[in-house]
Amino acid sequence: MAVQPILRYPHPLLKKLAHPVAGLDAEIRALLQDLIDTMRAGPGSVGVAAPQIGAALRICVVDVSKSRHGSENNHGLLCMVNPEIVARSGSAVMREGCMSVPDYTGDVERATEITVRFLDEQSDQVREVAASGFEAVAIQHELDHLDGILFLDRVVSITTGLFRRKSYR
Amino acid sequence: MTPRCERSYYAVSVVGADRPGIVAGISEALYRLGCNIADSSCAMLAGEFAMILIVSHPKPFTKANLLEELKPASERLGMTLAVRSLQTGEEQHRPPAGELCQITVYGADQPGIVYRVTSALAARQINIMDLHTKLVGSEEEPVYVMLLEATLPEDITPGHLEQLLASLRAELKVEIGIRVVTPVEL
Repeated sequence: MAVQPILRYPHPLLKKLAHPVAGLDAEIRALLQDLIDTMRAGPGSVGVAAPQIGAALRICVVDVSKSRHGSENNHGLLCMVNPEIVARSGSAVMREGCMSVPDYTGDVERATEITVRFLDEQSDQVREVAASGFEAVAIQHELDHLDGILFLDRVVSITTGLFRRKSYR
Repeated sequence: MTPRCERSYYAVSVVGADRPGIVAGISEALYRLGCNIADSSCAMLAGEFAMILIVSHPKPFTKANLLEELKPASERLGMTLAVRSLQTGEEQHRPPAGELCQITVYGADQPGIVYRVTSALAARQINIMDLHTKLVGSEEEPVYVMLLEATLPEDITPGHLEQLLASLRAELKVEIGIRVVTPVEL
C-alpha cells in the first residue's frame, strides 16, 4: 500500500500498449491498492492507470464520486482489470488535463455513454458497467492510457472549425 | 536546460503581411541566437500574420543581443518587431483559480460589441485569456462573432456571469452563450 510517483511524458511507458492480466493474484491486488492510494493522493484526481505508475498492465481505477462533476452520477470506486469498452454512443467535448502531462489542457471529444466490461477486483467476476457523463469521460481517458494514448493525441480545436472560412481579397 | 533563474525572458511580437516563411525565418534567427521558444501563438487575420512568443536565453544576455539578430530577420521579411524584457518571475505567471468560461457573442454587426462586453467583464475583474472576433455574413447583413475565454474571480459564479451579460444581450440584441470549460484533471 503506497502512493506511487506519477510518471510524466516523455516516459516511454506512457506510449506503450499495456499487457493483459492473466488473473487476480496478490501482486495484482497490491498494484490495484497502489493505484487507489495514488488516485486518492492526487488533488482532484478521479483515476489512475497502471502505466502511469510504471506497470505496463491493463489495469486502472476510476472514482468520480468525490468530484463535483460526477458526484450525482457514478458507480463509486471502479477497480478494472482488462477493461474494454463494448458499447459507446453520443459525443461531447470536455477540456481535459492529465497528471502525466502537467501544465497543459486541451479539448477532447469523447462518447457520452459507454458500457465497459472488466474483471472486477472485488467479485473476481466479469462485470459490465453502463457509465455516462463525467464518469464515462474518466473511464475513456484511463483506458486510453492502457493503449499508450494521451489526451494530446485526441485534442480537437473548436476555433479552427468556427473560423476556418477565409476570403478577404 | 539552464534553470529559470539563470535565464533572461522576453515577449516578442512580429506582425506583417502574410507570406510563406515568416515562422521559419523568425525561428531560425532565434535558433541561431541560442534562444528557446517557450509558449507561442500565431494567427492570421485578413492578410496579416502575427506571432507572439515568449523566448528565453541563458544569462548574460540582453535585449540588444536579441535585437541584433532578430531585427534584420524581421526587416527581411517585412515584419514589424516588438520586444519586451520580462521581469524575473513574470514568465511564471499563473491565472486566477476561478472557473474558466467560454463566452460566445454573435449578432448583427454594430459599433461597440467588443467594448461593451469586455468592459462589463473588466469591471468585475474577470480576466480574458483568449479572444477571437470575426466579421462574417454578407455585405448587406454583416454578422459579428466573438469567442472569448475568461477566468472568473473566485467570488463570481457562471450564474453571476449569466446575469451580468443578460442585460447586454437585450440591449445590443446579440446572442450570448456561456459554457464552463474549466479543465478536468483526469
